[in-house]
Parts: sequence; C-alpha cells; structure tokens
Amino acid sequence: MNRFYFLFALSLAIAVPKQVLAHGANIEYQETEAITIQAKYDDGKPMADAQVVIYAPSDRANPWSKGTTDKSGSFTFVPNTDPENIGDWDIKVRQSGHGDITSIPIKDGKLAVNQMNTGSLGADYTSAQKLVMAAAVGWGFIGTGLFFARSKSK
Amino acid sequence: MNRISLLLCGITLGSVILTSSSHKNSNKIMAATTEENTLALVANGEDFVRQGFTSKDGWEINFDRVYVNFSNAVAYSTKSSFEPQKGDTKKSIDYQNKVDFLTEAQTTDLAAGNGEAKPILVSEVEVNTGFYNALSWKLDTAGGDSAIAGKTIALIGKAVKDGQTINFDLGFNNPTEYICGEFVGDERQGIVTADSPGQVEATLHFDHIFGDLDTPPEEALNQDALGFEPIAKLASNGTVNLDDTDLASQLSPKDYQKLTKAIAGLGHVGEGHCVINQQ
Repeated sequence: MNRFYFLFALSLAIAVPKQVLAHGANIEYQETEAITIQAKYDDGKPMADAQVVIYAPSDRANPWSKGTTDKSGSFTFVPNTDPENIGDWDIKVRQSGHGDITSIPIKDGKLAVNQMNTGSLGADYTSAQKLVMAAAVGWGFIGTGLFFARSKSK
Repeated sequence: MNRISLLLCGITLGSVILTSSSHKNSNKIMAATTEENTLALVANGEDFVRQGFTSKDGWEINFDRVYVNFSNAVAYSTKSSFEPQKGDTKKSIDYQNKVDFLTEAQTTDLAAGNGEAKPILVSEVEVNTGFYNALSWKLDTAGGDSAIAGKTIALIGKAVKDGQTINFDLGFNNPTEYICGEFVGDERQGIVTADSPGQVEATLHFDHIFGDLDTPPEEALNQDALGFEPIAKLASNGTVNLDDTDLASQLSPKDYQKLTKAIAGLGHVGEGHCVINQQ
C-alpha cells in the first residue's frame, strides 16, 4: 500500500505542470567556445570603447557582427561554428584613426592550435583514390614477399 | 603468375583513371576560381594632404604638391592570414595570386585634385578573383625624368602662423620598403569578384611628421612628431627650400632623428601599420 501511495505521488509530481509566475525569472546556460580579444596600443594602453568588426569565413566582405571593446580593451564573442565558417575569423578593431585586424583560425568549432594547412596533400585525393593507393602499396609488399619467397625456393 | 600480372595491371589502370578524373575535377575548380576583374592600387595622403591641417605647434599647413615615388608595388592573395606586425615576412608569404602593379617607378602627386578628391590611382591591372590581403611597395629614389629626381618624397606648400607665412619645399631621399597586411578602414578592401573590381591602398600619414593640433599633445602621434616650428626656424625671407643633407646639418640631431623616423613611418594601409624595411 505504501508503494501505491509512493507511485501515486510520483505520477502527480510528473503529470502536474509547474505553476508559471508572470514575474518569474529563469536563467539557462550552455557551454560554448567563446573568444576574447584584447586590443592595446603599442604603448600598452588599452583600446577602450573601440569599434570591433567581425568577419566570418563564409562572407569576407560583410561584417558578421559589430561591437565595442570594454574599458580594458576586451571584447568577447562566440563564433558560429557551422561548417561554412570553419577557417579564419577576422577581427578588426579601430579607434581615432588607429586600427588593426587579426585572424583567428577556427577548426572543428574550436580554436585551431596551429594555423590551418589549406594545402594539405590528403585533401586532393578522393576516398576511392586513397583505397587504390593503399591497395597498390599493400600489393607492393606482397609482391616483394613473393619475389623473395620464389628466390629462396629456387 | 598471369593472375598476378592481371591484378597488377588492373590496379595500375584504376589509379590512372581515378587520377585523370581528379585532374578534371581540379580543372573545374580552377575554371571557377580563374575569373578575372580589375584590382586598383591607389595612393592616399588623406585629408591632411587634400585639405590641409594645423600642426601640433599651431602652423596651418596647406600642400600644393606632395610627390612620392612608388616602385615594386605588389599585392598578394594569401592562402592564410598575413600579419607582418606579428612576424610574417615577405619571404614567408604563401600566396594564391600575386600581382605586380608597376613595371617601372612612378611619381605620384598625392595633393592632386580638390579637397574632396578621391585617393590617387597609381595603377590598375587585370587579376584573378580573390581576396588581396597583403601589399608591399617601395618609396624609391626617383630617376632623372621625375619631378623629384634624386628624391623619394617632396613636400611643397605653405605654412601660416600668427600672420607669418612660410613657403616650403622639402625634399627627402629615404628609400624604404613597406610590407603590409590588409587595409584597415571603414570598408574592407582588396576583394575582387567577377561582379566587382577591388582596390588596395598605400596610405601615407603626414600628420606623423608635423603632428596634429586636434590630437591631444600627450598622445604618441604628437610626442613622436617633429612639428613645423623647427623647420620654420630655418626659413630665410619666408622660404624654406631644403633637402635631406641641409636638414641633417641644420636641425638639431634630436629633431633630425625625429624627422627621419617620421618619414620612414609614413607608409600604412589605411589605419593598419606596415613593417618597414629601410633600403
């Protein structure tokens, strides 16, 4: 019987919707890969309240986003990591006739440790080609083995 | 043994077929990326040159002519970002397209036109489409046919302060190469598409020599600038007509050092700084 009451109470807890208050507040969160830049002048002074323009790899001509640095010259953004935006994200910071632009490589949704190698050899071959090349290399080993085996038998 | 030979021939034939089909695909990609349009190299002395300005020490400066002698101007569309300020060098540029703008040196007057004139067109060439994000050029000693023969830069104009007018004609011969990344300004430059031509800009910041009254005196620009007063002190009958050698001997060593440093630091790409390679 006790078990019945427990199950009944549990089903009520699951079935009855929570009361929603019109003035309630709700905070949700999710983990993201954010990028923070810090802009400084050559003398080390922060570029406070400077204009920030961000260009995504998918559209080099038009800004993906704009913003302003804080008092310490910092600005944080979360890049869109869709496949078309894998590559160099370009960040431009300007203030009073001074400016700089820098590139941040993004690979697989994360900051690339090394610069992207756009000229990688493997990218030039199809899967079928790779399979044939692997077979050819394999056959080379077998052929060599058979050659020496035949030499020994003679 | 016949079977083995047959298998070997099959593998070889398959490789050849697949390789040739891959080359066809590559050619298709090449065809798509070898569309052409024009890329212009412009030179910009900014409003300081076109409209005049007031130096850090209160001289109202207006230019009649600002000659610079360009040579070896080359734009690149690089395979990855190019940031010479962070260690990338001209030798390390890994580029898809390279464009030579000048077959020989060219003297350009940055003060040509009225106060609203656009940057001066130096050269325009047909290029492959792409993003031309690196630029290098030289300010070279002009040859005998040039208006500034024997010089890299000449500044000709008038300076006025407290009712005193000084006509100046200053010549410099400091051959310098500028190695720069992408243009930094309002609009992104250097993008050439089949539908839209592109532009790259060699920008020269003359406020670095004379300073700018509109900029706070404690800022690096004014701290590092010579100003016009030390040159005004060299005037004779309201005229200063001096070249490098004269300035070296008549300015104080500290002032001459400031001047030569400012002259070398003239080259930019918009607001973006360049690495300097003095010849």
